[in-house]
Amino acid sequence: MIELHRVSKVFSVGPVKVPALTDVSFRIGKGEFVVLTGASGAGKTTLLRLLYRDDLPSEGEVEVLGHEVGALRRSQVAALRRSIGVVFQDAKLLPARTVYENVAFVLRVLGTPRREITQRVFDALRVVGISARAQAYPAQLSQGEAQRASLARAIVRKPSLLLADEPTGNLDDAMEAEIIDVIKDIWAGGTTVVLATHQARLVQALHRRTVTLEGGRVVKDEG
Amino acid sequence: MLVFLIGEAIRDLRRAGRVAVSAIVLITLSLAALGGFWLLSSNLARAVANWRERVRIIVYLKREPGAGEMQALIDRVESVPGVAGVVYISKTDALRSLREVLGRDASVVAQLPSNPLPASLEVAPAAEAATPEGARALLARLQALPEADEVAGSADWVERLSQWQRLVTTIGLGIGAVLGLAAILTVTTATTLILHARRHETEIMRLVGAPESAIRLPLLLQGMMQGLVGAALALAVLVATHELVAPRLEPLVNITLGLPHVAFLPPASLVALLVAGTLLGGLGGWLARTRSDAR
Repeated sequence: MIELHRVSKVFSVGPVKVPALTDVSFRIGKGEFVVLTGASGAGKTTLLRLLYRDDLPSEGEVEVLGHEVGALRRSQVAALRRSIGVVFQDAKLLPARTVYENVAFVLRVLGTPRREITQRVFDALRVVGISARAQAYPAQLSQGEAQRASLARAIVRKPSLLLADEPTGNLDDAMEAEIIDVIKDIWAGGTTVVLATHQARLVQALHRRTVTLEGGRVVKDEG
Repeated sequence: MLVFLIGEAIRDLRRAGRVAVSAIVLITLSLAALGGFWLLSSNLARAVANWRERVRIIVYLKREPGAGEMQALIDRVESVPGVAGVVYISKTDALRSLREVLGRDASVVAQLPSNPLPASLEVAPAAEAATPEGARALLARLQALPEADEVAGSADWVERLSQWQRLVTTIGLGIGAVLGLAAILTVTTATTLILHARRHETEIMRLVGAPESAIRLPLLLQGMMQGLVGAALALAVLVATHELVAPRLEPLVNITLGLPHVAFLPPASLVALLVAGTLLGGLGGWLARTRSDAR
């Protein structure tokens, strides 16, 4: 499913080279739930960005869903991303569209037939438990509801891989538990999940395989 | 999918607000100016074509030919290069024409002791000879006829009218081009604003693997919509102006140019203006996208 082989990423800030990832190698199998953890700046987000080909590694190989991401053309990148759902700490909902429209937007830009859209959007909203708020605008949602809507948007295409970058970073404990339950449900449905978090308490509560990053290096891979 | 993309383009236009309206107004102005000059030029072209057909060179004869000589003379003149047709006007025909021209004063003709008017040949030049140079060369050839006493006529003023027509066309194209350029820049500005307002949508579209066409097409479509609306408004302005002004100008146009009415642009020209507007807008949208990609 995912394989990283001696991956490094260096950012150049003027003449200064800042290493974000150094010699990272690990493998994630189909259907796994992997927690990526480490302090802020450890390289979690950079690693996720390499997985959905938002950035390229400076060295090494990143293989996702059978594709070496560095070798993909633009159209192939788009095709790869259609199999990946991504959620962020910030829900990134479109403020002028309702929850329903935000989720449907993804299907519409991908040319899904109109008759299928309503059914699939409501299926996704049901999975994340927010069908009742379908006509609400993002400004009318709590942070937990916004994150649920964001999750619905990520899974409405039934991706085989879900990448979640600090999805509970802005939430209180109760909302965090709800979102984690939703992500677990998605995983139980067969989706491979990679969840990045800096919250040690959450890592302990999840009891899943955990890859720990420190200064851009993998220092622990256990569970 | 197309319905969705058009919907997105309309949503974008609403976002651009006043800038999009400015772009539409500029496209309207540029195409109305272009169309106005085009209308003027096409009517002048009609007048030039009419008058070219009416150019005649008169060959006054030294003496009236006999019945047997006349046909031979006409045949000889018809074989002169640049001659399209020849009509013989006898002394009697010339006098009759004079009477008709004089109308109520025709009685003056009766006072004449004899018919002073010469017989003549009315020569219609071929198209290639209906230019100043062609007419001058034909004049020289006709002057060389042994029967010719005097040769009169030229195409100079028709050519002057033609030069005016070309000038009007050039001015129209110049003004249209300047306004068109301004319109493209305004559409580009509107599209740049839209690009900024759309950045979240674009981010989501890229994140979910939308095809590049779905990301770019709304921008191109909104530019084309601005252009199409601008062109349609320009046509409306042209139609209204023509309806209002043409009837008032017709007597003057009839006297000066010999045209019975001021014709409106033909359907092909109207379609061309609509297409030009759509392309102008599309070009503005495409330029903004390309500029954004380059950054």
